[in-house]
Amino acid sequence: MVPPQYYLLLAAAIFCIGLFGILTRRNALLFLMSVELMLNAANINLVAFSVYWGNVTGQTLSLFTMALAAAEVAIGIGIILTLYRNFGDVDVTDAASMRW
Amino acid sequence: MVGAFDFVPAIVLLPFFSFLVALFLGKYMPKGGALAGITATAGSLLLSIWTVLTVAGFTGTATTYQQTLYTWAGGMEGTPLPYELTFGLLIDPLSSMMLLIVTLVAFLVHVFSLGYMNDEGETGLPRYYAGLGLFSASMLGFVVADNLLMAFMFFELVGLCSYLLIGFWFREEAPPSAAKKAFLVTRFGDYFFLIGVVAVFATFGTAAFAGDGSFPALAEAALAGEGGGDVNTLFGLDPQAWFTVVGLLVLGGVVGKSAQFPLHTWLPDAMEGPTPVSALIHAATMVAAGVYLVARMYGFYALTPTTLAIIAFVGGFTALFAATMGVVKREIKQVLAYSTISQYGYMMLALGSGGYIAATFHLMTHAFFKALLFLGAGSVIIAMHHNENMWDMGGLKDRMPTTYYTFLAGSLALAGIFPFSGFWSKDEVLYEALVHGLGGSPLLLAAWAMGLLAVFFTGFYTFRMVFLTFHGKPRTDTARNPHGVRWNVKGPLAVLAVLAVVAGFINMVPVAKLTGLEIEFLHDWLAHGPSGLTSEHYSELTHDYANYSVGTLVGGELGTALISGAVSLGLALAGAGLAYSLYNVPEPVEHTDRLGSAKDVLFNNYYQDEYQVWLANDVARGISRGADKFDQGVVDGVVNGISSVSLLSGSRVRRIQTGVVSNYAALLTLGLVALLVILGLQGGWFV
Repeated sequence: MVPPQYYLLLAAAIFCIGLFGILTRRNALLFLMSVELMLNAANINLVAFSVYWGNVTGQTLSLFTMALAAAEVAIGIGIILTLYRNFGDVDVTDAASMRW
Repeated sequence: MVGAFDFVPAIVLLPFFSFLVALFLGKYMPKGGALAGITATAGSLLLSIWTVLTVAGFTGTATTYQQTLYTWAGGMEGTPLPYELTFGLLIDPLSSMMLLIVTLVAFLVHVFSLGYMNDEGETGLPRYYAGLGLFSASMLGFVVADNLLMAFMFFELVGLCSYLLIGFWFREEAPPSAAKKAFLVTRFGDYFFLIGVVAVFATFGTAAFAGDGSFPALAEAALAGEGGGDVNTLFGLDPQAWFTVVGLLVLGGVVGKSAQFPLHTWLPDAMEGPTPVSALIHAATMVAAGVYLVARMYGFYALTPTTLAIIAFVGGFTALFAATMGVVKREIKQVLAYSTISQYGYMMLALGSGGYIAATFHLMTHAFFKALLFLGAGSVIIAMHHNENMWDMGGLKDRMPTTYYTFLAGSLALAGIFPFSGFWSKDEVLYEALVHGLGGSPLLLAAWAMGLLAVFFTGFYTFRMVFLTFHGKPRTDTARNPHGVRWNVKGPLAVLAVLAVVAGFINMVPVAKLTGLEIEFLHDWLAHGPSGLTSEHYSELTHDYANYSVGTLVGGELGTALISGAVSLGLALAGAGLAYSLYNVPEPVEHTDRLGSAKDVLFNNYYQDEYQVWLANDVARGISRGADKFDQGVVDGVVNGISSVSLLSGSRVRRIQTGVVSNYAALLTLGLVALLVILGLQGGWFV
């Protein structure tokens, strides 16, 4: 059996990639993808610990997370569409009118 | 059995109903509400007579009455001193006598007002009679009050009525200003009185005047060393010192209301009000409220020698001070105003020197003869078409004999000429001050000397007024052909003139001492009553606590009484004689220039008004400017400083909300990292 440390390292790596994407990308679609990566890093942790402890609760929870992620993507794409309509672009830094 | 005491509330309520009737229905009534007021005060007068007779024992045994009518704030359980705030009645010889005086003068003034106001075609009569009614009700409520708080409330109402009635002619310039001055000056004194009431509650937990649980009784017990635990003194003072402080605080209200130095300046200005009002309020009754209050709680004042000495000294000084100012006045009412201040000075002198009976006696005789003099002056003013300057009068003796003879009776009483009432009472005041002064209180001798000197000035200004007004040749056309007055003016004058002549006979101390007859009726009258409220108890207290004892000149008490009476009569006659030689000539001239520079000082009332304006304008305004600086600078500065810190930091911190979503993400990440580092440091991950 693969030790859980590997899963944790994988999840941490994927999380960092997602975080890097969020911090550096300006394209809203890439932004959304990065968020998905971070969510899935969490899913990996859930499943890994579920297997490690022999308890299926973690896997059940990850199923919920996926459904949630799907809904989130639907809303995210809706926001991106609106962004494109209003600013003619999908650059997140353009929409900066809600500031002090 | 239904007795007089069941109707005592009606004595107060009848004038109150006349106030309501005159206020709301007065304009539909034939005399503008006058009849309601006359009926109400007549009813009160009859009930008062019945009450006095009951107290005196004509309807069975002599009795007094104390009853709590209404508790408007109950005792607060759980607090160290559960107070009860009540309205109640206390009818004893002192208050029943005062009831009689007040209702009688109020009734006569209402009748006189028919002549002074209605016949002169004044407008606003409902307002006038409503004011008189409310005043009578408040004053009577004050008189029957059985506790200090109730007395204070009616004391304030009386002041309010004074304000309303002084400012009756509010369309002219001077009356509203005089009304405001009277209100503010007396309120300044009442401020101390209010603190005094609170102090009495804080100290004794009660403000009742009479009974075993009353505050004078508790104070006496505390000083005698019994039950001292019931008394809370403040600021760590011992009971004696603290009672002195409380007494002086209450005395503030007395000094304001009874127009004693230095709060006397409002009274001469109050002469701007209608003359009947001056007679009722500013001579006979309201101004008496202060003196009456001291007499009412004399069992408390008698315990504190310092307060007594201050009362005596202020009284003696005021008597002399005001009398000298009365010497130079040109308006008849101004002379009377200063004589009023001076006479109340005598009463305070008597109270301060242990002469409780003398003060009460002078209070009564003064109420009669001063009301008489003011109403007589009102009659003269009607005749002179509202010209009050005595230099425009002269020779009115032959044209208005009723007014002349009644006014003369009042003047003889005021000057203290034998055997008119003022002689007996003033003589007793001076006698009390003298014997107690000789008995080892030299300060009283100084006060007595001032009072004695004032007798001379009193005789002088009184007869200067009489001669200028009534004697000599008429100096103007109005004086040659004066306006006539009717029965409603002459009637009250006649009644009061009789009283001014005979009122002194109830207490002829020198005659009693000389002949050994039992004719000191007022002594007997005030010697009975609830225990702790009798004159005998008071003289024991002044003897035990203030060390007042009787000292005599040659010939024992009799000799002293005769010498004192002879000296004061001699001085009064000397003053009157001087006035006679200077002013009882066909064409009198002003002699004030002979006074030299003193004349200006006297005309300007010792610059007391200027001095008080200076106090208000320069001193008080300077202090308030400083206080304003402190408020704006320090208090507001701290508040503004704190708020400007948060404003500034807010305006800086808000700049992190850039609207760029990447920045938010970066901040979130930084926050997470910071949190991780902190947790790590605390958890020891890096060790």
